[in-house]
This record gives sequence, C-alpha cells and structure tokens, in this order.
Amino acid sequence: MAECHGDAAENSAEIAAAVAENAPIIALAGQPNAGKSTLFNIITGLSQHVGNWPGKTIERKEGVFTHGSAKYCLADLPGTYSLTANSPEEVIAREFIIRERPDVVVVVVDAATLEKSLYLVAEMLSLPTRVIVALNMMDVAEQEGFHVEPEVLQAALGVRVVPLVATKNIGVRELVEAIGLLAQGKTRYAPRAPQVRDDHREVLKQITVQIAEWTPAPYPSDWVALKLLEGDQEITRMMRETLAKDRWKAVDEILQAHDDALMAVASGRYEWIGRMIRAAVTRPRAGQIGLTERLDRWAAHPLGGAAILAGILGIIFWLTFTVGTPIQNWLSKYIVGALAQAATASLSGAPSWLSGLVANGIIGGVGSVLAFLPIMVIFFAAMGILEDIGYMARAAYVMDGLMHLMGLHGKSFLPLFLGFGCNVPAVMGSRTIESPRARLLTILVAPLIPCSARMAVVAFVAPAFFGAKAMMVAWGLIALCLAALVLVGVITNKTIFRGERSAFIMEMPLYHLPNWRTIGLLVWQRTLSFFRKAGTIILAFALVVWVLSALPTGELESSWLAAIGRLFAPVGQLMGFDWRLTVALLSSFPAKENSIATLGVLYGATKEGGLANALAAAIPTPVALAFLAVQMLFIPCMATVATIRQETGSWRWTMFNLGTMLVVSVVGGVLIYQLALLAGW
Amino acid sequence: MLERLLDLVQEGGTRRVEDLARELKTTPEMVEAMLESLSRMGYLKTVDGAGCAQCVDCSLACSCGVGSGKVWAVAKPVISNQ
Repeated sequence: MAECHGDAAENSAEIAAAVAENAPIIALAGQPNAGKSTLFNIITGLSQHVGNWPGKTIERKEGVFTHGSAKYCLADLPGTYSLTANSPEEVIAREFIIRERPDVVVVVVDAATLEKSLYLVAEMLSLPTRVIVALNMMDVAEQEGFHVEPEVLQAALGVRVVPLVATKNIGVRELVEAIGLLAQGKTRYAPRAPQVRDDHREVLKQITVQIAEWTPAPYPSDWVALKLLEGDQEITRMMRETLAKDRWKAVDEILQAHDDALMAVASGRYEWIGRMIRAAVTRPRAGQIGLTERLDRWAAHPLGGAAILAGILGIIFWLTFTVGTPIQNWLSKYIVGALAQAATASLSGAPSWLSGLVANGIIGGVGSVLAFLPIMVIFFAAMGILEDIGYMARAAYVMDGLMHLMGLHGKSFLPLFLGFGCNVPAVMGSRTIESPRARLLTILVAPLIPCSARMAVVAFVAPAFFGAKAMMVAWGLIALCLAALVLVGVITNKTIFRGERSAFIMEMPLYHLPNWRTIGLLVWQRTLSFFRKAGTIILAFALVVWVLSALPTGELESSWLAAIGRLFAPVGQLMGFDWRLTVALLSSFPAKENSIATLGVLYGATKEGGLANALAAAIPTPVALAFLAVQMLFIPCMATVATIRQETGSWRWTMFNLGTMLVVSVVGGVLIYQLALLAGW
Repeated sequence: MLERLLDLVQEGGTRRVEDLARELKTTPEMVEAMLESLSRMGYLKTVDGAGCAQCVDCSLACSCGVGSGKVWAVAKPVISNQ
C-alpha cells in the first residue's frame, strides 16, 4: 500500500497522523470545472478555494477523511483534460499517479458534458491504478434535457460509477463507501479500457517489445509505449535519454514510420467514448435543443436564412423609421429648436457671434446628433436582442454562405461580419489570415462593409427624403455596398487567392428568451458611450464647422467653409451636390455621425420644422440618393484609417485604400445621380 | 472519427458543428469534444476577432462579435487541390 505524502510543516496534524498510520491514498482527478474542488471540500472538510480556470489548483492539496474506522488521505490533482504532457497540470497529475501509486483514483466527470469528460477516463484506464468514476452534475444534465444512466455506464466502463450532485452533497456518502470498498479490495475491478485501433496495434506491440526491459521504474512499459506512439514530448525525451543509441534508433524508426499515430490513438479513444455515450446517454432533443434545431432549419439555411436576415434587417429599419424617426423629429423640432430659440433670446445682449456659436454651432450641431439618440437606442436594443437570443452566430453563418455563393473567399467571413458593427475590428479581424497578400487585400476591402454608424446616418437621413420608401432605399444602399464588396472580392479571389480555401467551424449557441436586464444594461452603456462621443469629438467638430462657416464675414455663402466646399465643386456637381453636402461628406472623416452634425449646422437644425424638413425642402431626390450612396461608400472614418495604417504598416497602402474608396464612392454617386435623373425622380 | 473530422474541416469552407455531426453520424456534443481535442493538439485554433483597444470607447461595439458561439479555424493554412 502506498504512503500518504505531504510536507509535515504544511499539513495539519491529522494528515501527519494519517501518514504515520500508512493510510490509503485516494486521488481526485478531473477536468477543470468538473466540481473536483467542491467534492474535495465536502469529503475532507478542509476549506479551499474552488477554481474555475486551469492552473488555479495547480498546487497539490491534501486532506484526510475517515470512513468507518479507516482513515484515508485525499489528494486533489490539478484539473486536466488528458494525461498527455500538454501542460504542467497534466504532467503533475500523471506523475502523481505513476510515482505515488494512489490506491484509488476518483475521476470526477461532468455528466452534462460526458463527451468531453470521458477522454480523461479513457487515458486513466490505461494506467496501473484503480478508478472510480464520480458522475457529478447529474442535476445540470437533467436540466439540459438529457438522461444519463449510471448503471449502464458502469457496465460499459467496467468500473464503479457513482452519480452525484457535489454542490448539494447528494451521492457523496455513496462515493466514499465505494472508495472504501475498492481501496480495501472488496470490489471486483475489471475496466474495459479503450484499445488502440487495429491498424496501430501491431506497431504498439513492436514498441513495447523494444522498450519493455529498459523502461525506467515506476513507469509501466505498455503505457510508455502508448505515449511514445502519441508523440508525448516528455516521455520521448525520457526514453531517448534512457535507451541505448541503437535501441532508440530502432524505436525512433518505428515512430517515424507512423507519425499519424497520435490521431489513430485519439481517434480510438473517441470511438470508445462514442460507444459509452450511445449506451448510457439518451437525448430526446426536446426543449431548447429541439427548438434550436427546428429554428435553424430555416435560420441557417443558405437561402431561407438569407431571406430571414434581410427580413430582420428590414424590421430593424422599419422600427427605426416608424418609432425612432418621429421621436427624433419631435426632439429636433421642439427640444433642439426651442433650446436654440431660448439661447438666442437669452444671449440677445451678447455679441452676435456668441449667440450664433451657441444656437447654431453647439445646439444645432450636437443637438442634431443627440436628437438622433432614439434611432441609436432602437438600433442598440435590436442588436442586443439578436445577440442575446443567439441569432448573431446564424447571421454570420448565413452571410458567409452568401459570400461563398458569390465566389468570395471564405476568410473574409470574420472581418466581413465584424465590419457590420464597426470597420475597426473588421480590419483587425484580418489578422486571422496567414497569407500577407490575402490579409492586405482583406484589409483593403473591409471598409466597403456598411458599418452601423453609416447605416445609422442612413436611418436618419433616408426618411427625411424618402418617407415611406425609406426602408427600400436603406436596403438598396446596403445592397450597393455589398455589390461593391463582391465586385472587389471576386476580382481579388480570382487574382490573388487562386483557389486557396479557408476553413471555419462555428458552434451555434442555443436560442433562448432574451434577458431584458442584460439588454437594458447594454443599451444603457452604449447610450452613455454615445453621449460621450457627442460631447467630445462631435462637439469639437460641430464647433469647427460653425467657426469655419461664420468666418471671416459672418455670411455662410462667403465663409471659409464654403470656400473649402467649392474647391470640390467640380466633382460635387457631377452628383448635383452643393458645397454644403460636400462639406457634410468631408466632415464624416473624424466620425461618420459628424455628417448629421454638419447638416444640422449648415441647413439649420434649429429652424422651425427641424433638420429633416429643412433637408427635404432644400435637396432634390436624385441628389439625396447620390448623397446617401456616396456617404455609404465614402472613405472610412479616421479610426479605421489609423487601424489600416497600423495593420498594413504602410502609409502607401493606407493612401491607396483612401484613393480606391474615393473613386468607388464618386463613381457610385455619379452613376446613381445620373440614373435617378434619367428615371425622372 | 477524429481523422475523418479533421479531413472534413480541411476541405475548407465554413461549417456548423451540427453539419459535421450529421456527416460523421454522431452528436454535436461529440464533435465539440473532438474539436477541443484537435485545438489542444494544435490542429485548430479558436478565433476571436473583436475586443481591440479601439473598441473600448466605441458606442457601436455591442454589434461586434459573432455571438456567444465559438469559432474554430485551421491552425495551419490549408491549400486545396481543387
């Protein structure tokens, strides 16, 4: 019988007494988060922190417990997924079992994730120790809708299986009894360990024969042979140093000839796990899982899913236009307008520049953006709900399917999807692409994805011009961006990627009812963040725009801003833009929302009727359509440009991107303007 | 089964865990366990694209990410013979 080890200075007097009495050693093994530490605390009564992450229980913890008249030492091994030397925890766990030879190893497995937990059991059964499986979290498994039969699992494994719920102290007494019986040799122990697959069995035998007499104690030679076959670095090093040169050469030649053995061994273990699961677990696929599968037949279907995604986007725009826009108009008219009038009245004695600065610059600019808050709140809430119920992963999957249908490279998937939120992480997301050329091209096309800031500007401006048809226009604009993206993507796919195919695997979360508290918190945080942006960058820019629009004469038409806008008049005229629309576009460079602030300053958000009415009265339909198209395709915002510079490490490529976007946006704007004129709109 | 899963993954394209489970005639839970194993062996890696420094103060950061699901990618570039 093994001795109970421990540093006497660190361990309690009780442990020291158990050591002296040669008490049997029981080891607790298991994956992280399987409930091992909870079980250890209940059995020993020692207080210990229950860790959630690998490494937290890396120190060996020991305790003592008594069953009947016998005392036992209990050692809590670090949480491990396997017994291959992938991590220090795994080395510690297996070295303990091999060197300390515990009398019983209790492998704590999570009944709710048996497929993952049984891998460690499979490895443990190959070691010269007696194993008990503690089937923990039976309650969670039941809650998640599947049923585990411990007796059947026990028969299939050939080792004692004890069901328990450690957190509720259910089944722990039975476990302790089982430990006592096995430690005292009163239970038959006949494990059905997984076998190496047929095609590698002979190889394993050859290696075992080669090393059998030279394997250093206390390592079992058949286990060492298996680990050599798996390519375990620690064991390989040990045997290379131990075996005579010629013998190692012979072993190494066998290993080199079977470098696929790791997969064969692991595959054999998963086939064994599959058999155990089929025998002992029933999953009716009802409840959440069943619902998710039924919904995904549509939501993740290449075409049906795309239609649903388009529908959801439509509903978001519809909500925005029917609920958000009237509130925004009301705020713009009665709050921003009234505030501006009040400011003008109270500053009637002050210099006219001050009154103009406050009423038109600050209130007109920032007020327009803040009035646009209801639209943002609806957008944040809609995205929050989609995220919370688990739909976003489906949206990503469907988008990727569409991109493949259109011949785009699959690796654009992650950047593409992230880009719908913000182009900055889209550019950052291209880091997942190994090929430098492919990464560069993905970075360069990423700004063509309509980010939510640009979509929000459309959500504000489109209803002002197009009323009931705004939703169709918004859809059309997103389609325009995606068409530009596909055009550039197809060209790059044909010329640069040349058939290179990427691979992604997505785990779809289960659908569930929205948690309104989480969504509310999210909307609140984003709203505060939006306020901060309005109070800093947008306020600063609104002031700059107003100052430039007031200097040097105080007249808008002869201002410096007008002069800047007129510099671009030749290009703007191709799309019917006057200098104010050109300036609004240019002002979107620091932040896309600045367009609204600039329109607010230049078209008079503070006038009666609000900004929307002012815009509708001043701008003809073809011009408005061209403005929105250019706004969507225009050069990316400052943060995205900075990220492009950072990720490409080149100003040349950054400038190339700005140039490309400028050309694409102007060509798109001119085409749409001319087509709208031809159509007589 | 593990080798067949790796072969399927290396064929390229984006697949759902459920699709792989259907092709391997097993459960999604089994595929997830094997994907995690392949990650530990270094054949696959989990992907996380969002959460950069620039996102900290972004009012639109809520719309980033691919939801609460996990995404794996092949750890080494795979060149198709097609």
